[in-house]
Amino acid sequence: MRIVFCGVGAIGSATALLCRNLAATPVFIDFDRVESKNLLSQAFVKPSVGKNKAEALKLQLHNLHGVKAEAFGVRLTRDNVEALCKGADLLVDGFDNQDSRQLLSDHARKTGTPLVHGAVSADGTFGLVRWDERFTPDAEDTHGQATCEGGEHLPLLGLLAATLARAVQDFLKHGVKRDAFVNLSAVTPLAGQG
Amino acid sequence: MATLNITFGGHSADVPVELERYISDEDVRRIAVELMRSGGVPGLHHIPLRDEAFQHYVVDRFRGPQGEERIYLRPKVPFGAC
Repeated sequence: MRIVFCGVGAIGSATALLCRNLAATPVFIDFDRVESKNLLSQAFVKPSVGKNKAEALKLQLHNLHGVKAEAFGVRLTRDNVEALCKGADLLVDGFDNQDSRQLLSDHARKTGTPLVHGAVSADGTFGLVRWDERFTPDAEDTHGQATCEGGEHLPLLGLLAATLARAVQDFLKHGVKRDAFVNLSAVTPLAGQG
Repeated sequence: MATLNITFGGHSADVPVELERYISDEDVRRIAVELMRSGGVPGLHHIPLRDEAFQHYVVDRFRGPQGEERIYLRPKVPFGAC
């Protein structure tokens, strides 16, 4: 079984760590590199600074947890989405922009591959776990809009990653597709959608 | 009877609303402002609101298990990484 994590920044990297118990091969896609500031909000460790995020997460999972993964340190595009997501049993979206989310959604709908999205608001007070059947990617208010930097929103990001990992596990174990809201005080399952 | 769920400032609450017709997303935003100003949203009162407080918010519409209408007013969530 292959679980493809698309975008392994704050949400994707933490979710992947919380899915390390699954009998599945995690696959990571991300073109970006680990920066020092990422250490406060993402699952990367200091020796990973400067490395590609997908490769760094693969190394960390293997060295720290004994889990084998695959990594593609490239940007997902219309030209490579078929090849990179080939054989995926589940797609997990942790991208940080509308265009990439839409590209992934289009691919999932075309191929019938299950896809679950994890997404957070710019001010770090609200997050959403939603399966693709009910998801429309939101646009940034302004292009290149600044988002939650540093570790200020780490507790909410952790809650969101845990909720997304739970959604992944419930789907693999029971076949259910549960959505949830995550805010500062609670995780709220969305009724009637699973 | 429909349920309007409002998320604001990191908190969410359900409010029952009587709707006799389809209401636009703009109507949903306007109703939410009035409800919050009136103190009618559990846990979300006493918050000073501008008229355009929900201008950039997203309106989602779903049906619940018994077919009831559920409307969600929430912040945009464009991000997955920081």
